[in-house]
Amino acid sequence: MTTMGAVIKPAAAVGSFFAMVLETIAALPRRPFAAREVVLQSWFVARVSLLPTAMLAMPYTVLVVYTFNILLLEFGAADFAGTTAAYGTVTQVGPIVTVLVVAGAGATAMCADLGARTIREELDALRVMGINPIQTLVVPRVLAATIVAILLSAMVILVGLIGGFFFTVYVQHVTPGAYAAGMTVLTQLPDVVLALIKAALFGFSAGLIACYKGITVNGGPAGVGNAVNETVVYTFVALFAINIVATAVGARVSL
Amino acid sequence: MTVAAPRFPRLSRRARGWTRGWNRLGAQARFYATTVRSIGDAFVHYKFEVLRLIAQMGLGTGALAVIGGTVVIVGFLTVTIGGLVAVIGYNQFADIGVEALTGFASAYFNVRLAAPLTAGVALAATIGAGSTAQLGAMRINEEIDALEVMGIRSIAYLASTRMVAGVIVVVPLYCVAVLSAFFAAKVSTTAIYGQSAGVYDHYFNTFLNRTDLVWSFLLAVSMAIVIMLVHTYYGFTASGGPAGVGEAVGRAVRTSLVASAVLIVFISLAIYGQSGSFNLSG
Repeated sequence: MTTMGAVIKPAAAVGSFFAMVLETIAALPRRPFAAREVVLQSWFVARVSLLPTAMLAMPYTVLVVYTFNILLLEFGAADFAGTTAAYGTVTQVGPIVTVLVVAGAGATAMCADLGARTIREELDALRVMGINPIQTLVVPRVLAATIVAILLSAMVILVGLIGGFFFTVYVQHVTPGAYAAGMTVLTQLPDVVLALIKAALFGFSAGLIACYKGITVNGGPAGVGNAVNETVVYTFVALFAINIVATAVGARVSL
Repeated sequence: MTVAAPRFPRLSRRARGWTRGWNRLGAQARFYATTVRSIGDAFVHYKFEVLRLIAQMGLGTGALAVIGGTVVIVGFLTVTIGGLVAVIGYNQFADIGVEALTGFASAYFNVRLAAPLTAGVALAATIGAGSTAQLGAMRINEEIDALEVMGIRSIAYLASTRMVAGVIVVVPLYCVAVLSAFFAAKVSTTAIYGQSAGVYDHYFNTFLNRTDLVWSFLLAVSMAIVIMLVHTYYGFTASGGPAGVGEAVGRAVRTSLVASAVLIVFISLAIYGQSGSFNLSG
């Protein structure tokens, strides 16, 4: 009996997650559209993730640029530092840092907020009043996470390129002109578009997971903490999986 | 009764804000110092607590049991990153006709870049965030105050034991992480892109640097120390009811991600310097 329960419980959790996803997608075009909530939530997510984005993008780019430059110096091709910096930032560091920030900062804050409302039975109160919490709370949050993820990924790329510039020019003594000229050799429009599509996918799925964990919280203070913890783990796992699939598909499409 | 308003209200408010931030920094530093100093206490007095935490962190209980313990999550994240290194490495090298060097990409980038970064993220997400959630719930339920009333050194019992357990657990976890990154890179190069295993192994073994592996391992241990310190602090000082615990977990994840990234950059710059310790161009 216990083994049956152990098998059924995760399956039921996955099932109810997909039920919520379907309900959210069905509620997306339906009126009334909670436009005000979208704006408020976007601002909320942007506020919690802005600083971590800048703080994470810098070290990651420096590390990638530095590791690649060792290789380039070995070839005697340090002038191509801009090429690798742009390629690494746009195709890999951008999406990965966006994943970390969207999952670690945006999704956790969102889940903690929704979880606290669930504990205080605000969602039940909404249902009693005949308001669908999916439409008023989940849809705007998922949209906000998607929008902010796209904007954040653009910011990560910018911060990364600027950080890479200062590191390459002032620490590794490559001429600024060579850095700027090399940037567009490998990285072109399809790569940038792919990076933005990836970011939108990350934001969408992180928003869905955070909302699902938030509205299914139970068990008091420990429950909210555990829900946020699970949100972090599940979003990291899901987003890393999406990243490798999108990269493999993109490598086929853009080459 | 009247209270005299301060002469410069805006200035004094600003000054109070600065002082509060400064004091918080000091409190945080003192918590870290106490935690590190109490490691001896944890070993002498709370051996069984350390053992219990090691078992819990390594295999995962409760919340994460649904999709397997910490090992499974760390393994999964590094498998995707190892696969990513192979996908990018193979496609980029194939562009200039040297896809045989994918083994080199795996031996170089996995050890220096991908495995430590991913392992840090996975540690923060699993054992780190888990500790914050546990300690935060204890603080909200006033269990930590109860411990202190009973005369138990709460920081040694809760924070130092978790730090010790985290550092011990990271040893096997990091081995799993590096091995699964290598394994994923090899499988996706040989099975999916159809390179012969001999070619891959030759370049992989030629460029795999043993000292780099040791450094990469020390990097993971130092990251575990920082991550556990940050996460226990935010859990230990959680306030504001159920929502406060959730916020504390979020804030801890943000801080420890940034702290571990900065740490990796500085340690990498310090230990690897400008040299690649290999000779590609002869």
